[in-house]
Amino acid sequence: MAVIEASGLSKSFDKKVVISGISLSVERGEIFGFLGQNGAGKTTTIRILLGLLAPTQGSARVLGSDLMHDDRVRGRVGVLLAHNGLYPRLTARENLVYYGRLYGCRDADRRAEELLFLVGLTDAADVAAGDLSTGMQRKIGIARAIFHNPEILFLDEPSSGLDPEAQHMVRALILNLAREQTITIFLSSHHLDEVQRVCTHVAILHSGKILVHDSVAHLTAGSGRTMYEVGLTDPGEGEKASEILTGLSGVGEVSVELNRIAMVLSGVAPHEVVGALVAGGVRVDEARHRAHSLEEIYLTVLQEAEAAV
Amino acid sequence: MNPVFVIMEKEVRQIVSSRQTMISTILFVIIFAMASAPVTLVGEGNPVFLLDQVCFYLVLVLGIFTSYIFTGQVFLKEKQDGIVETLLCTPLSVREIWLGKVLGVTVPATILAYGAAALITAVAATLIDSPLFPSPPVLFHIIVVVPAFISAVSGLIGFAHLLLGMRDIQILNIGIIFGIIFLLTLTRSLLGPGFDVTWAVVWGSLLVAVLLLAIPFQFNRYINRERIVTTLPE
Ligand SMILES: Nc1ncnc2c1ncn2[C@@H]1O[C@H](COP(=O)(O)OP(=O)(O)OP(=O)(O)O)[C@@H](O)[C@H]1O
Ligand SMILES: [Mg+2]
Repeated sequence: MAVIEASGLSKSFDKKVVISGISLSVERGEIFGFLGQNGAGKTTTIRILLGLLAPTQGSARVLGSDLMHDDRVRGRVGVLLAHNGLYPRLTARENLVYYGRLYGCRDADRRAEELLFLVGLTDAADVAAGDLSTGMQRKIGIARAIFHNPEILFLDEPSSGLDPEAQHMVRALILNLAREQTITIFLSSHHLDEVQRVCTHVAILHSGKILVHDSVAHLTAGSGRTMYEVGLTDPGEGEKASEILTGLSGVGEVSVELNRIAMVLSGVAPHEVVGALVAGGVRVDEARHRAHSLEEIYLTVLQEAEAAV
Repeated sequence: MNPVFVIMEKEVRQIVSSRQTMISTILFVIIFAMASAPVTLVGEGNPVFLLDQVCFYLVLVLGIFTSYIFTGQVFLKEKQDGIVETLLCTPLSVREIWLGKVLGVTVPATILAYGAAALITAVAATLIDSPLFPSPPVLFHIIVVVPAFISAVSGLIGFAHLLLGMRDIQILNIGIIFGIIFLLTLTRSLLGPGFDVTWAVVWGSLLVAVLLLAIPFQFNRYINRERIVTTLPE
């Protein structure tokens, strides 16, 4: 059952078209990555789904309702927008309890303890939110967003502005949530890597239009071709290796980048390829299958879209 | 607990805990109350009559001023840093959010106004060295009409803060300060030095406060979520 559904969404501000004809659907339990460059229209789409903006055309339903007019259903949705929604002078705990009570949670104090523990910030419970680091604030923001056990969680660029370590922690937290709490997550991002690692499904947004809408597994599996990669001990042997590989039948699209050689195999086994290289005197450091990265797919899709214009 | 009161309680707590605002507002109230209490000695007439005039006028002014300051904290600040967007995603309606905040301003501003009235009366009584108490209409004015004005001012300005963009709010704020000064000078000169605070005056001002409060109630449909979100600063 689709818990988020948008059909033909368009939005213009004073004749400036920001998104046009966006249709998407997210099933219960998915981690949906909404990928797009700066200004692609991610935040605008999320705001429409949340009922903060009215679409110029089309309709959006979350849990079967229009959130702009359905106060009760808004209570079943959790939200972390660009701003964490925290009051800087209230402590982490006070912030959590405050929002919990706004959502009508009964045992807000106990739930706050539970969530502070979940995000690993029990020690910071009584620190004013404004005195916490950006990464800690984001984690409290996530705890705030899931306080009332929402069925769907919207996250607008949850890792933006964080250092790599904090980004990693936030991602781990999201994955953990999705796994253990069976919550549907709608996550916007411009980090391809993040979406590939965290999401089950993805839509790529470009200039207000959706270019691709698919499962991550399906996209990265490619079209039945085996992508393979060999790493060399000595980058100087790249040219020699490339010659050997080009001579083998069933090996195509050989490309060398420093000590890494990528290729597509068809009708030839990986061990035969490695064997040929070793026999030719190339020192092989490692060899592995390679999935299409979301980055490759993203760039290809973008190029196609731009060529079509 | 009703979420309107959850908001109210949080706003009260936040206003009280913002030390800078609290200290400067309390100082302001004390200085004005102390400075105007001796007026009761100056006049020829009855000290109760003079105290009535001071209390009627000054407590109202201090209440409105405090309401204006606290409203900026409660409405504008949340819009400036974008917290209000998260608040709009909760199950509360825009009207409930607005109401909770207005109540949150009204409670501490009213307490300060009551404090100012008590201070003026106490200082005046000490100065003339005899017990002194405002007349019943002025007491009613302090207890009921002043809080009504505090709510009305907060309701109106808060409504404007939700509705307008940052630049418009800045212009509005300057306008409000001059507007308040102008209205005060105007009423003062209209009332004249010998004016008596009668029940008619007090009921009249209550009516004005209620009408002012009715404006944002009436026009609540103009503050929808989209309007607030599209006037957030970048
Ligand atoms: N209220 C508004 N009025 C006018 N233009 C707007 C408004 N809100 C957004 N826009 C414009 O719409 C476009 C898309 O904005 P949006 O915030 O949805 O993009 P985004 O994908 O979230 O980008 P980012 O990665 O920067 O957050 C931008 O060009 C922005 O300037
Ligand atoms: Mg955005």
